[in-house]
Amino acid sequence: MNVYLTDGSEDCFYTAVFSACTDRDCVVTSARSLQLALGSTVLVVRADEEKCGRVKKKLQQYAPRSLADISLILRRDSPGKEQTALEYIRLIVQKKAPVGDMLSHPAVIAAREEKKKVTLEAHRFTGFLRFIEGEGGILYAPFAPDNDILELLLPHFLARFRGMPFIIHDTARGRAALYNGKECVVAETEKKVEIPLAEREAHFRALWKDYYEAVNIAARPHERQMKGYMPVRYWKFMPEKQ
Amino acid sequence: MIDAERLKILTESAKYDVSCSSSGSRRKNEGGIGNASFGGICHSFTPDGRCISLLKILLSNRCAYNCLYCPNRAEADVPRASATPDEICELTMAFYKRNYIEGLFLSSAVEGSPDATMAKLVDTAVRLRKVYNFHGYIHLKGIPQADKALISRAGLYADRMSFNVELPAERSLRLLAPQKSREGILSPMKQLALEKAAVKEDTAKARKRFLPAGQTTQLIVGASPETDGQILKLSEALYRRFSLKRVYFSAYIPVVHHALLPDTCTGLLREHRLYQADWLLRFYGFTAEEIAPEGENLPEEYDPKCAWALRHMQFFPIEINKAPLEALLRVPGIGTLGAYKIVKARKFARLGFGDLAKMRIVLKRAKHFITCGGKFYGSENVTSVKNLLMLEERSGRYEQLSMFSTPETSLSALTGQL
Repeated sequence: MNVYLTDGSEDCFYTAVFSACTDRDCVVTSARSLQLALGSTVLVVRADEEKCGRVKKKLQQYAPRSLADISLILRRDSPGKEQTALEYIRLIVQKKAPVGDMLSHPAVIAAREEKKKVTLEAHRFTGFLRFIEGEGGILYAPFAPDNDILELLLPHFLARFRGMPFIIHDTARGRAALYNGKECVVAETEKKVEIPLAEREAHFRALWKDYYEAVNIAARPHERQMKGYMPVRYWKFMPEKQ
Repeated sequence: MIDAERLKILTESAKYDVSCSSSGSRRKNEGGIGNASFGGICHSFTPDGRCISLLKILLSNRCAYNCLYCPNRAEADVPRASATPDEICELTMAFYKRNYIEGLFLSSAVEGSPDATMAKLVDTAVRLRKVYNFHGYIHLKGIPQADKALISRAGLYADRMSFNVELPAERSLRLLAPQKSREGILSPMKQLALEKAAVKEDTAKARKRFLPAGQTTQLIVGASPETDGQILKLSEALYRRFSLKRVYFSAYIPVVHHALLPDTCTGLLREHRLYQADWLLRFYGFTAEEIAPEGENLPEEYDPKCAWALRHMQFFPIEINKAPLEALLRVPGIGTLGAYKIVKARKFARLGFGDLAKMRIVLKRAKHFITCGGKFYGSENVTSVKNLLMLEERSGRYEQLSMFSTPETSLSALTGQL
């Protein structure tokens, strides 16, 4: 059995798929803590532009939308994501057509579930992300999502806060999107950053907490529902929950 | 700048308004701050399980009216406060910038006259749009009996507006909210619906925006004796005649005590059942008459769709691989998403019960009403189906169960037979 070890990037994954697609019972993964089966050979894959391009071209031809789906699946924070994506690609190659509507096929179910987890989290963070106003008016939002969704959030906030400089910082992965009001770049950063607060920040934070408290109907507690919609692991950066 | 004390009073007074949605508008950011997200976004959740999407606040809670059920009625002895339009705008902008909220939900008690109050509400919305350059979501509450021109003007700046019908029947309204009239509430709703339709039709004005997210309303359930059947019939009429986006129901909470009002909370289960029925009206092709005949309430022990199916067992079971979408939508336990999934998936392969389970379609209730490839795994007997489904429902009333609380369990405790 061959184990294709990728570096986690999309190009590297497609390069691995080039051989793995027809290599029955192989494993493609980017996980570093891996339990190898007896008799397995580890193949370390390096991104190869040509192979990657050929796989993408074929997918584009059979199922144009699948590239976007796979890109979402690869953002998952789970060791099995490459394998899920591979099974999905195999099905497309076998059918030579889009397979997104084959909703009872195990490969499609798994792919949809992984994709859903990423898009759901991205949607949630359009609401749960909290900006802090730093000195000079720059907005800084730290967050620690389960999946790598920084790029998925950007279009939303770039449209909404157009022209207003902001930073969105994924503290779990040490990456941040920096926007100066004109251009936006994503860069590797430290995991923890200290920024000086604007003068009025504490005041509005306090008002927000007061508001949160006042708008709750205490006579009707339903904490389970609250936690279901807003998981506790997201509370870390929300002022109303501190 | 608004202080914590007034913010607290004005929020406390606004919180019983249940509408929280920020959906339905595609307003773009036109060189300022903010835009609207068509699907709506929840920004936080409170310990009562409700979401915070908009900054829900009153301009003032000094009310000239004396609606008996309302905590802010003129006679009530509560702390009073008001805010200026600028204070509201400033707070909205500060919260919006920090991504605490999706926009503003502004309402007000009737301070002075309806016209003066409505003018102040509209003024706040105009200021937010023009002075503060805000393009996020604005939901304005309409003040009944306010001037027509003011109401139309509000439609140009707000994304959504709502006039609260409050009580399902005119008689109850006269009794509990003497200063309001059915006519005064319904005629501005009609006016807005007509204006919106006119703007939509007129292609020359295609770029003009008028209430992009439409209108909603709210009904208090349990403060007056109307049945669920009546309430649903009214909602259906509102959806059809005024093309409302939503009708919200609010289970009555006795914030004030009065001889004409019930002293107990209306169960949340009743509110829940009404919402379930409301969904059946809007997305499942049911009519109000089918769900609950006019003089009747919704059953508490089953959800309304299940209750309908149990009354119409002659239509079931249906074959999953053949039944049309409309029939699938009527199966208890299969939702809109489930029905659409089935319709798509069966084009590629015949579906069995195992497939449905894998597709995350819950079969707990559905299995009694469907066949998959001719196989049936439910119970044949209607009475046993009823009992099975009823027991599976969570009880709405919370009670400490005694070991011998039902006749069956006490009997089995005596005989030792399970």
